[in-house]
Amino acid sequence: MRLLRNIFRRKLRAFLTIFGISIGVFALVVMGALAEKLTLLVDGGMKYYEGKVVVTGPSQFAGLASSPLKKSLLREIEHTEGVSRASAAVSALVDEEIPTVSMGNIPTIQAEDGRAKGIETFIIRIAEGRELKNSDVGMVVVGSDLVKKLNAHVGGHVEIRGERYLVVGINEKTLTAPDNAVVMTMEDAQKIVHDDLPDAVKDSVEPDTIVSSFAVYLEPGQRPEVVARRLERTIDNIEAMTPLDFERQIKQPLAIFTSIIYAIALISLLVGGLSVINTMTMAVAERTREIGVRKAIGASNAQIMGQFIAESAVIGLIGGLLGLVFGLLVTSAGNAAGEASGNALFLVSNRLILGSLAFAVGLGTVSGLYPAWHAANLNPVEALRYE
Amino acid sequence: MSEAVVQEFYGGEASQAAAAEYIIQARDLAKRYELGKNNFVDALRGASLDIRRGEMAAIMGPSGSGKSTFMHIAGCLDVADGGQVWLDGRRVDGLAGRELVRVRRTEIGFIFQGFNLIPTLSAEENVALSAEYAGHSRRDALHRGRELLELVGLGDRMRHVPSELSGGQQQRVAIARALVNDPGIVMGDEPTGDLDTATSAEIVGMMRTINRERGTTFLIVTHNPEVAEACDRTIRMRDGVVVDDGDGTPPGTAGA
Repeated sequence: MRLLRNIFRRKLRAFLTIFGISIGVFALVVMGALAEKLTLLVDGGMKYYEGKVVVTGPSQFAGLASSPLKKSLLREIEHTEGVSRASAAVSALVDEEIPTVSMGNIPTIQAEDGRAKGIETFIIRIAEGRELKNSDVGMVVVGSDLVKKLNAHVGGHVEIRGERYLVVGINEKTLTAPDNAVVMTMEDAQKIVHDDLPDAVKDSVEPDTIVSSFAVYLEPGQRPEVVARRLERTIDNIEAMTPLDFERQIKQPLAIFTSIIYAIALISLLVGGLSVINTMTMAVAERTREIGVRKAIGASNAQIMGQFIAESAVIGLIGGLLGLVFGLLVTSAGNAAGEASGNALFLVSNRLILGSLAFAVGLGTVSGLYPAWHAANLNPVEALRYE
Repeated sequence: MSEAVVQEFYGGEASQAAAAEYIIQARDLAKRYELGKNNFVDALRGASLDIRRGEMAAIMGPSGSGKSTFMHIAGCLDVADGGQVWLDGRRVDGLAGRELVRVRRTEIGFIFQGFNLIPTLSAEENVALSAEYAGHSRRDALHRGRELLELVGLGDRMRHVPSELSGGQQQRVAIARALVNDPGIVMGDEPTGDLDTATSAEIVGMMRTINRERGTTFLIVTHNPEVAEACDRTIRMRDGVVVDDGDGTPPGTAGA
């Protein structure tokens, strides 16, 4: 490759410039992978919330952290106008303590009463083993991201909160929240939630009445917002969350968060771009005489310009590839470490890979434009005289 | 050369023959270099010169006499501020940048002092580059490059980069490069300036041979009397004009 020979004429300078671009692309890949993972989680949430209303106790955050409801609310909810059916669910945390760093997804315990079967469109397939039945007390189905953390395999046992459970199935990877969930029966989950209650209230609550949330399915043509407000009016001490609420609470802050992430990564890339401009300007100055010779032996302005732009684009490409490799190493190492605790932070999507590379090449090309234009427009006689 | 140009310049039929005889015809060339405010150099002040097709001519003169500037203008690397130039019967003064490039590619080959090969390219790639610029495919260009390197006796050095070649070898690569697009004329700007006497003689001998065998015209700017000695004639310039065209005929009247 003649281009590469030109680029590596000044080895140190070429490496430094390429390194500058790699750091930028590395930042873009790592930060982008974080943003992609979060976006995917939220999109999964959006899909789950689509067309339904989720009823929780007051001041809950997206169905996590429980102040439990009473199972008896089911009847009231189902009698509300516009509701076709409701399904009770119990959720708890796998670990008693919430991890201090909780970027991605916190491992949860999920149980539901099975009343949603046939209406729920958000279905998680079983990868191995079988689905959990309502009668499967003492048994669990494990989400794909928790397999390592819990050391789960079908037919084996896992320990959760000091109890041993038989693993009957493992869920297919969805890249969303259910990957971090252990599915168990209502009865088992209710026991865990009950144990978590403060001692003062523990005795006044029967475990089998505990419910964390209700998924409320609507009659055809009903708008979730209208039904949610109606539920909140008629039933005391609940919050009804609609797809729109979810979007407002989670999606919009996330959009701001991801744009900040990308902005930081892009700034580091722009710095890399400036170093390309610097490198190419110096290369043109050093090769002034050579440019004169090239013109004398028949190079047109366009050919000279093309040569320098190509060099600059290749610097961008090499830097981009290196940055991508670093980024892939770091994100996969991060995910491997995270998997042990059931928390994979990064998702390197194809669009992120292609986008980062395209951006690096584009940046190289754009950075090369001015130096290349300058080179192309040198007066051949003056360039030949240049010492 | 178009009929109109012939008419304009020579008038009459006899000039057709003149156009065929001369590869370069320059009339009253003027060139001023601005160095700063109210500070300029008149490199050419009305230089006229004809170069015959197939001859090997030397231009001599002290530094600043305008000989390099003359060569650059006749070689379409630069444009004159005044005067006319015909190259191979075609008027080239006043051509735009793109057309100058086209003329440079096909009609003219250059050899410089200090060889000026591209340091990152091998001998064959250096020669091929000029053909590639002229639109030949890489393969075809390399093929031509190898042929010409054989011609200049560097068949065993094709893959060497310039830093692995001696000065004389580098200049032979430059000669091969100048010939690769089969130009009518090769212009040398002090082509032996950086060479010792023996190598210098070898390079001049090679140009002489190519001139005789291929009929390529050579115009060589030089300080070296021995180089001039080897040429068919010596043109002398001083203060931006041709003071002796070495032909004994006043310029501009040769073919008329």
